[in-house]
Amino acid sequence: MECIITIELGTNAVRIFAFEMNGNIIGSMKGSYPTFHTEPDYSEQDPEQMFITMLYVLKNLLTEKIHPKKYNVVSICFSASMHSVLAIDDRGVPLGNAITWSDNRGKVEAQELKNSSFGSRLHDITGTPIHPMSPLIKIAWIKNHDHSRFENTYKFLSIKSYIIQQLTGEYAIDYSLASATGLLNIQTINWESEALAYAGITIDMLPQLAPIFHSPGKLRKEYQKSLGLSSSTKIILGSSDGCMAALGAGVWGEGKATITIEDSGAVRVISKEVLRDDKHRFFNYILSENCFVSGGPTNNGGVVFEWFARQFGDFKSPYETASTMENLIREASNVAVGSDGLLFLPYLLGERAPIWNANARGSYFGLNINHERQHFIRATIEGILYEIYSIGKTLEEHRSVKQLSVNGSFASIPFCTQMIADIFNKPVTISKNADSTSFGSFLVGATDIGKYKNLEEAAQTIELTDTFKPNKSHHQIHNRYFEIFERLSTNLAGEFEAIASLQQRD
Amino acid sequence: MNQFIFQQGQAKELYAFPHILEFALKKITSTQLNSLNPTSVDYMRIYFVLDGKFEWIINRNKFVLYPGDLAVILPGQVFGGANGILNIGTLMWLNLKVEKTEPGRILLGDWSSLTESEGITISKILLFNSSSILIKLREHATLLQNIKNELTAQEIGYTSRVNQLIDELFICVARKITRQNNSQRDFPQTFLKLEQTLRQNLAYQWTVEEMAALTGLGATAFNEKVKNYTGFSPLNYLINIRVSEGIKLLNQEEENVTAIALATGFYSSQHFSTTFKKLTGYTPSEFRKRNLPRKH
Repeated sequence: MECIITIELGTNAVRIFAFEMNGNIIGSMKGSYPTFHTEPDYSEQDPEQMFITMLYVLKNLLTEKIHPKKYNVVSICFSASMHSVLAIDDRGVPLGNAITWSDNRGKVEAQELKNSSFGSRLHDITGTPIHPMSPLIKIAWIKNHDHSRFENTYKFLSIKSYIIQQLTGEYAIDYSLASATGLLNIQTINWESEALAYAGITIDMLPQLAPIFHSPGKLRKEYQKSLGLSSSTKIILGSSDGCMAALGAGVWGEGKATITIEDSGAVRVISKEVLRDDKHRFFNYILSENCFVSGGPTNNGGVVFEWFARQFGDFKSPYETASTMENLIREASNVAVGSDGLLFLPYLLGERAPIWNANARGSYFGLNINHERQHFIRATIEGILYEIYSIGKTLEEHRSVKQLSVNGSFASIPFCTQMIADIFNKPVTISKNADSTSFGSFLVGATDIGKYKNLEEAAQTIELTDTFKPNKSHHQIHNRYFEIFERLSTNLAGEFEAIASLQQRD
Repeated sequence: MNQFIFQQGQAKELYAFPHILEFALKKITSTQLNSLNPTSVDYMRIYFVLDGKFEWIINRNKFVLYPGDLAVILPGQVFGGANGILNIGTLMWLNLKVEKTEPGRILLGDWSSLTESEGITISKILLFNSSSILIKLREHATLLQNIKNELTAQEIGYTSRVNQLIDELFICVARKITRQNNSQRDFPQTFLKLEQTLRQNLAYQWTVEEMAALTGLGATAFNEKVKNYTGFSPLNYLINIRVSEGIKLLNQEEENVTAIALATGFYSSQHFSTTFKKLTGYTPSEFRKRNLPRKH
């Protein structure tokens, strides 16, 4: 029997799935790796540890689930978190750690560029918001502040390009992940010379561009042997985690959007056209030819609720975060919709879409003498989802959305999913495939061998059943509070600025 | 409690306890210049504040201790009062001779009934938390008081009892330190701290018990949490780190493979090669040759 393996190089862990050709999961395993914060704004990961962890997990999955049943591995398809930057020297050796999407060291560069008309133009041309997350900004930062690394850099890679190079010997990046670097012109699908000039690099310092279906070459013989794979197993570049999640959620075509909430979150739509927004609030990433994933990201998803649980939850035993959160959610469900007027702004980590304000901060608003502990729990969840709604509502200025598909560990908690349906006043389905990113990668692999004519056909096979129906009266209550939430988020800009500057001084 | 001072060689109370160098309770009623200048000694010093407020410098970090706080100063650490002054208040202290101090471990001596691995684990906890050895815990007063009572009364069994109480003191301190430094609410954070400690001491042969103790968990709970969070058993996770660091050192051309093996915690270059090849399909030297030669 044949199978397809997908490898997702995520923010905290690598997740590897094996699928039968009909999309059934044979098995999956994960292996985590740390993120180091050696300075306040830094977020780095060890490329060798990511590579070794990936190899180790892949080997375990093959040995335990694939080889004993004599599956033939047709292909291995990759996805990875966006915006990572890894500098390597001319021997292919990393110069320091990989810089991840959540790294903020380029905040000054980003602010300056964002405030210029050149910055707005670059956002339009490249699809990537001008933000410290963008590799464009990170490379510019290295150029300005880390001269020896910049001087010694042979190429700037994404972590996925590095790992694929380790496996195959080729330096390559797919159009999709490349479109999240801030360096790619998303219309011509070539590196954008104006962006390269800003970052101070030339085309030969970037990996080779290729479609997501491209195979950069065979597994090196040594890995074929140690993994027990043959030379016929095809390595497929694949895409980014965000684009794969949108594909795997089955939201292809008019009227559909997908909400992903893990630690962070995003609301995304897929369409044939780029989404043009005068206020530059959205990203436009390429999924494949003439197909764009557009939307807005938030920093403050499940990570905020976990923060709340750690501070205020009742831990029955050490480190029992999961059961503590379950109990909190049970308590929250005892509170009326709208938390009797207690509002929460979830901007603990600053915010991206739609307000794009790194200085935004969290706040509880509307507190009165009758509010109890349980109101805080519910208000916290409502606040996180109001922020998601504010992205969705802004998206609806450009696209009509009739149906939502949600995925990710926080969004798929039934209490949260129902609340999303109520807040948006739209039917919501939870992806049948627990891991949309991996399922998206499977669809790329399956399309590659001709099981589907194209990605559109592949995505259409995903049935969206409306499992969560909106409650109109709840929606009306949410809507009234949301108006205040939205006003607070913009009206407090001056106070956000002031408090952030005080916090940074200490 | 009344003031007292027992000194080894002078106090009959300490005849049976050659490892106790000094045990005292003292009220300090006036501040004097140079009353507590920074010193480093080869024995262990445990101070407990009963009354007053003490400003101390331990290992170049400044701490303020209030009643109920306890400080453990390890052999070799520099300790003194801020500005060389011992503040006003009431203090108890216990100075203990240690058998041996090597990098990464302190051996208490035969008097202690802690097992060897417990002793090593406790000394690891003390060593890796050198900047935060201050604990608000009133039970320590009772333990120290009981040691004093046993020493003065000398009832049947007091020799064993005193040594047990000192062991008990160490166990309490170690447990309290891990709880104090890990909120026990944020496993990713705790695990990251552990990972950093492991990386800084990669040549050491870590056991699961030692790693668990640093996180304030028992071995079984630790195993389960790590497996759940990382996808690996603690020892396999450690192999990930060892091999990743090994790759980095291999990429620095000057290091020889045996030195790399030992620096990353493998028993031998053979052990390194076998593990490395099993995981990557290459031996370390083959892996090194794989990198393209410099073009200039």
